[in-house]
Amino acid sequence: MAESTLPVVQTAGLCKTFRDFWRRPRVEAVKDLNLEIRPGEIFGLLGPNGSGKTTTIKMMLGLLYPTRGRISVFGKSPTDVRVKERIGFLPEESYLYRFLVARETLDYYGQLFRLPRRVRRERTERLLDMVGLKHEAKRRMGEYSKGMARRIGLAQALINDPDFLILDEPTSGLDPIGARQIKDVIRSLGKKGKTILLSSHVLADVEDVCDRVTILYGGQQRAAGDLSELLRRRDVTQITTPPLSEATIQQIRQLVTRLEKRDILEVSNPRVKLEDFFLQIVEEAQAANIQTSGARGGGAIPEFLRKPTEATTEGLVERLVEASAEKPLDIERAVPVVIPSKSEPSREVIDHLVESRHDESDGSDQAVEKATPPGGDGPADSSADPPAKRSADAGVIDGLLNRSDPSPSTDGDDEP
Amino acid sequence: MSQALAVARLMIAEGIRMKIALVFLALIGMVILGVPLTIKGDSSLTGAVQSFMSYGLSATAVLLSMLTIFMSRSLSDEFVHHQIFLVMSKPVPRWQFIVGKWLGMTVLNAAFLACAGATIYGMVYYIKSTHPPIDNRFDEAELVNEVLVARHALQTKIPDFSDDAELEFERNLEQGLYANAGDIRPDAEKKRLAQKHEARWRVVGPLDARVFEFENVLCDRSKGNTIQLRYKTEVTQYAPDEIFRGAWVFGDAMKGTREYPIPTRHVVGRYHTIQVPADAVADDHTLLVRFYNRNPYEGERQHNNVIEFRKSDPVEILFVVGSFEWNFVRLLILMQCKLMFLAAVALLGTTVFSFPVACLTSFTVYILAGTRSFLTEALDFASDDYATMFSSAKEFFVQSFTYLYSTVHWIIPDFGYYDAVETFVNGRNVSLVWVLQAVTELVLIQTVIVLGLAVLLFHRREVAEVSF
Repeated sequence: MAESTLPVVQTAGLCKTFRDFWRRPRVEAVKDLNLEIRPGEIFGLLGPNGSGKTTTIKMMLGLLYPTRGRISVFGKSPTDVRVKERIGFLPEESYLYRFLVARETLDYYGQLFRLPRRVRRERTERLLDMVGLKHEAKRRMGEYSKGMARRIGLAQALINDPDFLILDEPTSGLDPIGARQIKDVIRSLGKKGKTILLSSHVLADVEDVCDRVTILYGGQQRAAGDLSELLRRRDVTQITTPPLSEATIQQIRQLVTRLEKRDILEVSNPRVKLEDFFLQIVEEAQAANIQTSGARGGGAIPEFLRKPTEATTEGLVERLVEASAEKPLDIERAVPVVIPSKSEPSREVIDHLVESRHDESDGSDQAVEKATPPGGDGPADSSADPPAKRSADAGVIDGLLNRSDPSPSTDGDDEP
Repeated sequence: MSQALAVARLMIAEGIRMKIALVFLALIGMVILGVPLTIKGDSSLTGAVQSFMSYGLSATAVLLSMLTIFMSRSLSDEFVHHQIFLVMSKPVPRWQFIVGKWLGMTVLNAAFLACAGATIYGMVYYIKSTHPPIDNRFDEAELVNEVLVARHALQTKIPDFSDDAELEFERNLEQGLYANAGDIRPDAEKKRLAQKHEARWRVVGPLDARVFEFENVLCDRSKGNTIQLRYKTEVTQYAPDEIFRGAWVFGDAMKGTREYPIPTRHVVGRYHTIQVPADAVADDHTLLVRFYNRNPYEGERQHNNVIEFRKSDPVEILFVVGSFEWNFVRLLILMQCKLMFLAAVALLGTTVFSFPVACLTSFTVYILAGTRSFLTEALDFASDDYATMFSSAKEFFVQSFTYLYSTVHWIIPDFGYYDAVETFVNGRNVSLVWVLQAVTELVLIQTVIVLGLAVLLFHRREVAEVSF
């Protein structure tokens, strides 16, 4: 019980100085780092090149020894081999053996974890399937592209079903499918209660999946905390609605000006994320059975990596299909309305809108939900939202504007 | 050990798929197959086979030693290409990683050695069946009896001449022969006199005889079996025909054995072998052999009729104790023991240094091990000379090198001592005791020490260290 509350990684005054041949200190890579990674969290380690991220990770793995300070992983020294049984590591480059084929590579790392042959074989096949390289499993690693090798790198990091997964620049060299897949895996493992350390330059990736982050600069910690708290903009409020007519927008402007004594900063149609657009194209190509010698979309996340209660979690492709089928909101036509906030985000306008909707609801099933991209990147589980919010629809705005028929407002022809 | 075995299997896969191993194998193949075409020996079948085996086995030993050193690049590459980051982030104890690498190299060496051995074995029988003249039964019998066999060798017992030396010393003392000789050290003088008596014993004048006694002749004395006498004689001056005439008598009638007289006309300066029935050996496993000098005596001893059995070419009795095949296997095991030690040295070097430096270090150890006897002797001699002098840079260098060598030589084995190629090629037995001694000293002691050192240093090393 005590272990579950213990930090997975804890450092105190951690320092690492690289020395030259004559033992003279040359580079102070990490300075007085105090870090704590808690069980079950997805932790982001950020910083520019040379900020000490990889050095810190190497110390967590026992590949480097601290010059000063202390570091513990699962309460033990990182050099303890028992600790390493619980760790999966994807390094910044895929340091794989060029002369081995993919299947042999995974089998080799499985052997290093002393996994029984049957388990190794089963996991190897499932992981190859997951990273979409089952059809290329007999090719030598030397023949793989960087992205394909990266996928095998991810697979080897998962071969032992680790409690603590360390991913150093995991999406480097990957195509958007692979990058998305890694994020899927991270989320899936996060839900299972695994602890994940993500070091990346791709800030969008970190933002997508991390609970907490630490930002390093010059080997020192510059900022740390809960990601949602760190990134929260308190000076702006954003309302996302289905497409609105110019007249509606004008009336909202007036309402906001009247109630808040401020003007709306921006009214625009949001752009779909390029990642989502790209995945849609690939999905269409895969549906058309176009041949490729490269990586394919990838299969489901293997059973052994899944939470027992989410045994039916679909893989990337399935999720893409499902997400596009549901289409809870036409994101291309949605209009975000940005209102300058006071010190706290004002709920008054929103409450006013919702109350008006309750008064005049006609039972329309045009639900207003939080914008969810087709890829399911956002919180797809709408059941978690309050009932009033979940049932809110575009009619709210029409009601507010004393319209009897809300349907014209959803007409694409009326878009600005 | 499962992780060590996994590392070993990876090493083997790397070795097989690595181009360098293929190149070395091709090189060994070329040497083995090319030697019969280029080296003819003394034109006899025995000479051809002996030359082939000698060059083939020596070349195999050298090339495999080089391959072993180059194979340690596997560990170096793990550092250079950072694969070690992944391996060491897995629950692999570092000693298992080093032992795994060593095991992989050892298995590869064993496989290469077996391939080379099988090729050499096949080629020996190919030469035997094709060497002209094909139907020369004498040549073939000589090959089968003296080369393709495992024979144990016994040297004749040298009489103890210390009493004779003592008597002569006393006599010389009484006669005052040492009065003007300054400081005569009695022990040294007695030793010199004993050597003089032994030298006289080794010389057999015309119509004179010499008795050679052999003990512990533990051969199979049953009917039909033979033993061999191997000897070489020298004369101070060769006769025109270079032939000396003698007679050998085997057996001791006093001990109830049959006596076998064998007259000979042999060329001087070459080894000769005489086959004798094994029942000439007495029940107490002793053998009495008498040599008669039958060279013509014309009233005086001449240089060309006085026969000398030199100390460097001792008279030997040889008898079969095993088959050629098992003797070959034991020889290969001896070679493998050396390669196992060398693999450990190469790994130790790579654990500490970059590959080029490790390579150089390993080659140095290989050369030191191969020349250890010579070096030890030479440095002993040099340090005796310079023990009290430090007057020049050369002396200082010799002394420094001597101290350095004496510090490290305990860990460097004597590869020369375990070089059994000549023994094998001469149809001598590569004894099991010799093999066990090699296994104990080279593998169980010195290899384990070197591997332990490698593990210790690897344990202290930061595998992801950045050097400036």
